[in-house]
Amino acid sequence: MKLIILRSNLKDGLAAVERAVSDSGNLQILKNVLFRTFNNKIKICATNLDLAITKITSAKIIEEGGITIPFGTFYNLVNNSDNERILVETDKNNLIFKTDNYSAKIQGLGVEEFPIIPKIENEENFIELDSAVLKEAIYKVLNAAHISEIRPEISGVLMDFQMTMIKFVATDAFRLAHKTLNNNQFKTNFNYGFKAIIPLRTISEVVKIFPENKQIKICVDQNQIFFKNEDTEVISRLIDGEYPDYEQIIPKSMDSEIVINKEQLVNAVKLASNFSGQTNDIKLKIDPGKKVLEIYSANQYLGENNYLIPIKLKGTEFEEIAFNWHYFLDGLKVIDHENLVFGVNKSNKPSIIRPPEDGSYFYILMPIKTV
Amino acid sequence: MELKELWQSALAEIELQVSRPNFITWFKSSHLLDKKDGAALIAVPNNFAKEWIENKYYKTILAAIRNLDDTTKKLEFIVHTNPDTAPKIAEPKSRKLPEPDQPIFSEMRVDPETNLNPRYSLTSFVVGSSNEMAYAAAQAIIKEIGKKYNPLFIHGGVGVGKTHLIQAIGNEIKNLYQNKVRVRYVPSEKFTNEVIWAMRNKRMETIKEKYRLIDVLIIDDIQFIGGKTRTEEEFFHTFNALYENNKQIIISSDRPPKFIPTLEERLRSRFEGGMICDIGYPDYELRVAVLKSKLADKKVNLSPEVVDLIANRVKKNLRELEGVLNRIIFYQQTKNQEITAKLAEQIVGESAQEPMQQKTSPVQVIKAVVDFYEVSSNDLVGRCRKKELVEPRQVAMYLLRDLLDMSFPYIGEKLGKRDHTTAIYAFEKISQEVNKNPGLNNKIMLIKEKLTKS
Repeated sequence: MKLIILRSNLKDGLAAVERAVSDSGNLQILKNVLFRTFNNKIKICATNLDLAITKITSAKIIEEGGITIPFGTFYNLVNNSDNERILVETDKNNLIFKTDNYSAKIQGLGVEEFPIIPKIENEENFIELDSAVLKEAIYKVLNAAHISEIRPEISGVLMDFQMTMIKFVATDAFRLAHKTLNNNQFKTNFNYGFKAIIPLRTISEVVKIFPENKQIKICVDQNQIFFKNEDTEVISRLIDGEYPDYEQIIPKSMDSEIVINKEQLVNAVKLASNFSGQTNDIKLKIDPGKKVLEIYSANQYLGENNYLIPIKLKGTEFEEIAFNWHYFLDGLKVIDHENLVFGVNKSNKPSIIRPPEDGSYFYILMPIKTV
Repeated sequence: MELKELWQSALAEIELQVSRPNFITWFKSSHLLDKKDGAALIAVPNNFAKEWIENKYYKTILAAIRNLDDTTKKLEFIVHTNPDTAPKIAEPKSRKLPEPDQPIFSEMRVDPETNLNPRYSLTSFVVGSSNEMAYAAAQAIIKEIGKKYNPLFIHGGVGVGKTHLIQAIGNEIKNLYQNKVRVRYVPSEKFTNEVIWAMRNKRMETIKEKYRLIDVLIIDDIQFIGGKTRTEEEFFHTFNALYENNKQIIISSDRPPKFIPTLEERLRSRFEGGMICDIGYPDYELRVAVLKSKLADKKVNLSPEVVDLIANRVKKNLRELEGVLNRIIFYQQTKNQEITAKLAEQIVGESAQEPMQQKTSPVQVIKAVVDFYEVSSNDLVGRCRKKELVEPRQVAMYLLRDLLDMSFPYIGEKLGKRDHTTAIYAFEKISQEVNKNPGLNNKIMLIKEKLTKS
């Protein structure tokens, strides 16, 4: 193999596959990155046997071929190199890295040692959507997901595909985030629905490495999911297990609902958090006049504070309710309207945060017991 | 097991031929699933392992197996994750620990595999005369799954402990047989939702796959599937598939099969083919025993007279009983005040007021009875003493007393100018019958249910 490649192309390619490089494990080859010519371009590929990322980038190919080399070393060389053009060449199982005034020889392993990247079984059926739409949906729910060793089935984001809509759901048992995409936001030729639990690591990579404003294609089979656009491919295992019956968790009705300015509420929570105790709790209640929400916290060593925000109340007022402020803020942050609706149910039932007049997104949170 | 031994021996041979890291990565969590017609079916943990083994180690494995068993001609691979042996992937540690005071969604406390709530156990199930038959049947089932009573159909009113008992059976079986018996608990509402999802998304086969692999299927509140044609049909097929394979089926309902009006005949006859058990309303001793066991659980002390008072005031619903108890305990803890009988009386009074009292009129009660028994109201108040009329008449008297606390002379007056002693006799007779005769108990329950709904 012999080729000339621009440093920025090489760097972008390596950065895209970085998170699929295995950082531990028995097999040395998984710390390597596969580097081979492909249709007059370069294919860079890494895997940890859970997910595999492949990035195709352009280069001037002089001689076809391929090699695998330790990712860390290669990436450091590319990162620190100060030349725009890099000559890459193989010599048996070595990779020779050359610029105008620098040369290095990295020991690698043959291409045949590298794991074979599995194919998706059903590539005919796919969902196609704008990457910005997918990213926005995932960002809305990602915060609520949590890696759990006891409950592997919630260590990911549920993709509940129902032909006319896609629901993304994430939960860590304390809160649950839910985002729906309608059928004008995606195209598909699937004629049946499915539920897939995408590992958290996979989905976080997908939102990072796919560029905005390009179409992404998603394919799914029994135990894998595949994301691709013209130069990037991600294939990952799915989490095997049954996702909790999230529809049961969604409250059917609310005792009280308030409409409140989002920025003010975020600000109030941030201020109140300064006085919250070790339980990270902040408290909320509606003032007797029913026109003001009070957000407050107190700590016997630090002092106390309270913040008042005007609200519009629907339903009955609620007495003191407490939340973990980190969790509360996670739900507020992703609301992109000026106002938001905050719904409360009595007696330690879950509360809900959602944008007004938009049912596609909501965030459900368990209050802290206040006895 | 033969397959297991064969695979162990084959692995021992393969281990000698490949490097240690390779062996651990590719072979460690594989197993031999099946062997027939000369083909060995090998389960591997992921698609990477499948690709790699198929392409690189096919000959090595085939040779190793053929050394031990020369009937094997070819190998097939399947991706099959077994949670017990699946390799643990080192994921980045979570950024924050769950706070100890942060409660979780109550729906998430259940075991995802079986859908059972571990809170329900047989040891915490208090046995009394009203539920001892159901309890005995439960124990028999646990010993001999699928053989003794199949299906087991448990029915009883609201809050008498049906869900507790059937979930406890599931938990007990799970603990007793470890993971060898696959148990699954499904409220019928959830089953319906799954059928709806599958219908909308053209994936009916997912339900078949999911439910036909179960050894013990527990369905709660089956009365809700009545009238939902497609759900009933799907349940019927699931039921048959399991029943024919001697899998245990446990069903609960708020009334016996023949009283679920919308249930299809073929399902009803199947339910009646097994064991039908009734859980009656708890008697006084059982209510006290339940209260004492709850107190022990919560490590709270209450004076015997308070316990006695609660048991006497809340008569039917154990859930309500627990609610009242929680309220008293809450009061005791927040106000830091010793609970006296008088105080307890006040708290019980606040919460145990039956909403029926204000709304229901005697006319409504009589109408409900008349409708239920399909007799005319003239006959009900008339003089005729035919058997078909005596029971409705007595039930009407009983309900007027029980629900509305009307005086006996007034009841007698209302139902055909009868003597108050007739009313007293009717009330006492029915009160006793209710505890002995589950059929009558159910009729009364249904009438009451109608009244609360109207």
